[in-house]
Amino acid sequence: MPNENPFQDPLRFERQVPECVIVIFGANGDLTKRKLLPALYRLAFDRRLSAGFAIVGISRTPMSDDDFREKMRASVEQFSEDTKLDNDVWAAFARGLFYVSGDIGDAGLYQRLGEKLGQIESDRHTGGNALFYLSTQPSQYAPIAHGIGAAGLGKGSGWRRLVVEKPFGHDLASARELSDRLHEVFDETAVYRIDHYLGKETVQNILAFRFGNGIFEPLWNRRYVNHVQITGAESIGVEGRGAYYQEAGALDDMIQNHLLQVMATIAMEPCASFQATSVRDERSKLLRSIRPLTADEVRQNAVAGQYGPASIGGKDVPGFRQEEGVDANSQTDTYAAVTFFVDNWRWAGVPFYVRTGKRLAKRVSEIAIQFNTAPLHLFNQDSGETSVNLLILRIQPEEGISLKFLSKRPGSGMTLRPVSMDFNYGSSFGERSPSAYETLLLDAIVGDPTLYTRQDMVEASWSVVEPIQNAWREAKADFPNYAAGSWGPAAADEMLARRGHVWRKP
Amino acid sequence: MSATVAPDSILRELAALWTQQGQQGDAGVLRACTMTLLVIAEAADDAAALGETVAALMPEHPARAILIRLRGEGERALSQRVYQQCWKPFGQRQQICCEQIEITASDAALADLPSVILPLAVPDLPVILWCQSARLVRRPEFGEIAGMATKVVIDSAAAGDSTDAIVCMADGVRSGGILADLAWTRLTRWRETLARVFENRDTLARLSEVDSVQVRFGPGYETAAWYLAAWAANALASVGQVVTPVISRQDESLRLELSGGTFRVELSRQEDRLVTVVNEQSNCTNLPRPTDYLLMREELGIVRRDAVFERTLASAARLAVSSSSGPS
Repeated sequence: MPNENPFQDPLRFERQVPECVIVIFGANGDLTKRKLLPALYRLAFDRRLSAGFAIVGISRTPMSDDDFREKMRASVEQFSEDTKLDNDVWAAFARGLFYVSGDIGDAGLYQRLGEKLGQIESDRHTGGNALFYLSTQPSQYAPIAHGIGAAGLGKGSGWRRLVVEKPFGHDLASARELSDRLHEVFDETAVYRIDHYLGKETVQNILAFRFGNGIFEPLWNRRYVNHVQITGAESIGVEGRGAYYQEAGALDDMIQNHLLQVMATIAMEPCASFQATSVRDERSKLLRSIRPLTADEVRQNAVAGQYGPASIGGKDVPGFRQEEGVDANSQTDTYAAVTFFVDNWRWAGVPFYVRTGKRLAKRVSEIAIQFNTAPLHLFNQDSGETSVNLLILRIQPEEGISLKFLSKRPGSGMTLRPVSMDFNYGSSFGERSPSAYETLLLDAIVGDPTLYTRQDMVEASWSVVEPIQNAWREAKADFPNYAAGSWGPAAADEMLARRGHVWRKP
Repeated sequence: MSATVAPDSILRELAALWTQQGQQGDAGVLRACTMTLLVIAEAADDAAALGETVAALMPEHPARAILIRLRGEGERALSQRVYQQCWKPFGQRQQICCEQIEITASDAALADLPSVILPLAVPDLPVILWCQSARLVRRPEFGEIAGMATKVVIDSAAAGDSTDAIVCMADGVRSGGILADLAWTRLTRWRETLARVFENRDTLARLSEVDSVQVRFGPGYETAAWYLAAWAANALASVGQVVTPVISRQDESLRLELSGGTFRVELSRQEDRLVTVVNEQSNCTNLPRPTDYLLMREELGIVRRDAVFERTLASAARLAVSSSSGPS
């Protein structure tokens, strides 16, 4: 028997997607309605899913398969940003939607799920392949994995995989404990920790930009790079998630996962191949090279912030402590800025400034790489203006790349002015980019973990973040310390000023 | 119509268009270009349809498009027109614009075309030539124009003599050219469907039983039949099964059958549907006739050698020669 299908033609055929069933725990939740179902429907619309593909939704609310289908149809109609619901495509997609209700602590739920999976396998020829997606409270991850294992669903005639959403623990010890509990049922190779930032086109494009071109990599080191700024700013507040956010905070919610993963992608060494293990090894190596801060260093290199009330565009917005479900004396950071250093030959001495926050001036995620100035300033001697070369990789809202450099102003005289050369990823190619969830779900189905976070990466991130958590817990912060709609606390500006740097205002 | 066209003046017109565009509105205009797309068609062909096809290709493959319309016989004459095609992607403020140049040439002026095209091609980016004119391919001027292209796309199914067309293409590939044939591109869905059949491990295990490849074809499907037979036989050979394909004419459009022992897989076109039969189980999927837009969209995405196509082309050329020299 041949090992490989000789009729495949990867140059022209879409990536082969195996038959499978996705079991979504938390099927009645926001993530399922807003992200997962619209993404899966879009994949079906684009004919990226196999004919026998099926979804089993699980939550406590009693519902029939048909009720679930109706509910999911409404979600897809409401939350699919750029895909109109096609009745024929939906009809075929909906035939593969099933629902099982029950409490995750009840062994009977997993028995009923097992029966449903058996029926789907025989009716839709899914080959026993199943992807369990945990779209629930993090505290339920371990009990669900246990329930799956106890019912014998962790193994089957096909592959079994588990997708978990962040947060992966709330510190190093809890992250390890969670991994241990998941590993009782699933091997690490079958655990897919999803970080939707890594599924964004521009984050993937960082790898193409760095390692597909020969001209940037020689500059990508301490000799030419002055410093790097990574920003993940949101203009909205906690939007009804005050109770959850109060437990997490900006450092845990954004920096520990999304932004450190972005930093790892920016700073990692070239990998030997584009195989999942090679890419993840390099990311992991970089994360382990980030110098953990001592308690003294935290005071100099990390700033916590919390927004207070303000008027934005004539509209009064509440401070964090006035948000619903938030303690009036909350010490939660809604802003965090940290200066990281990478202890390796490439980056020694180059500061990586990472910041994130709620209710900042605008919603923007980007990486700005500031190069060293020209060694001799021949032009604009009197103006005092320094020539700054900046490479900006924009992740959202408009994905793209900009390079800022100096150009001669037209006319007589040698006057220079900064100009920006822009590449807009979304619009230079008129084709639609897949959403992060489309990319990541498809990767999980085909078994490509390149863009998923591995246990050692999670632990390395917590090792870096934990000393900051500890230092912040020990000292009572004087919150609020920035106004909603601003670019964060003054202390964050001072942190950069100590090294002669200034935050960009994207 | 003038007898000359000045590339410099075309480039000046293009620059003026960009300047003018940039002065309109405050959101600016984004210039996008990934290649030069050179399209050669007969003046008698449907100009509006061709224009729509090229316009539809631009969002995914932004290019400087040079449309050359062949007027046929008559005195030596060349003329040109320059314009832009702009669009605003959904939710974006910025317009994206691509350049289009249209040149009309009589046969007597064909020899002048290379000197016009060469300076108009965007530097450092690939040049893709899509030659819709079967007549031009047989003319001596074609070689020099094709020589400027990174990749040449033709449609052997539209050639008067398909055997000659496919043999010429195989020669072209052997001498180092990157070629594509839309007759082959039309088979992608067929090939993908067959590949999917063998994604199932149980079916893949039965591949070793296959000892017969049969292709039956109706009018207009001759080159498709050679390609399909050659591709299936090559794929089987790659796993150690040497099968000589049998190609025969029949009334219907196209049918491929792989069989051996108690195992049989058959793909056939029935109007706008592709019917797949694996032993007694059949499945039917929608298979509308692919438009030029869909075919070119696929080809423009591949600006490099296509090893599967080139291997198949060489085998298909041999099948074409043997079938034209006697009944199979």
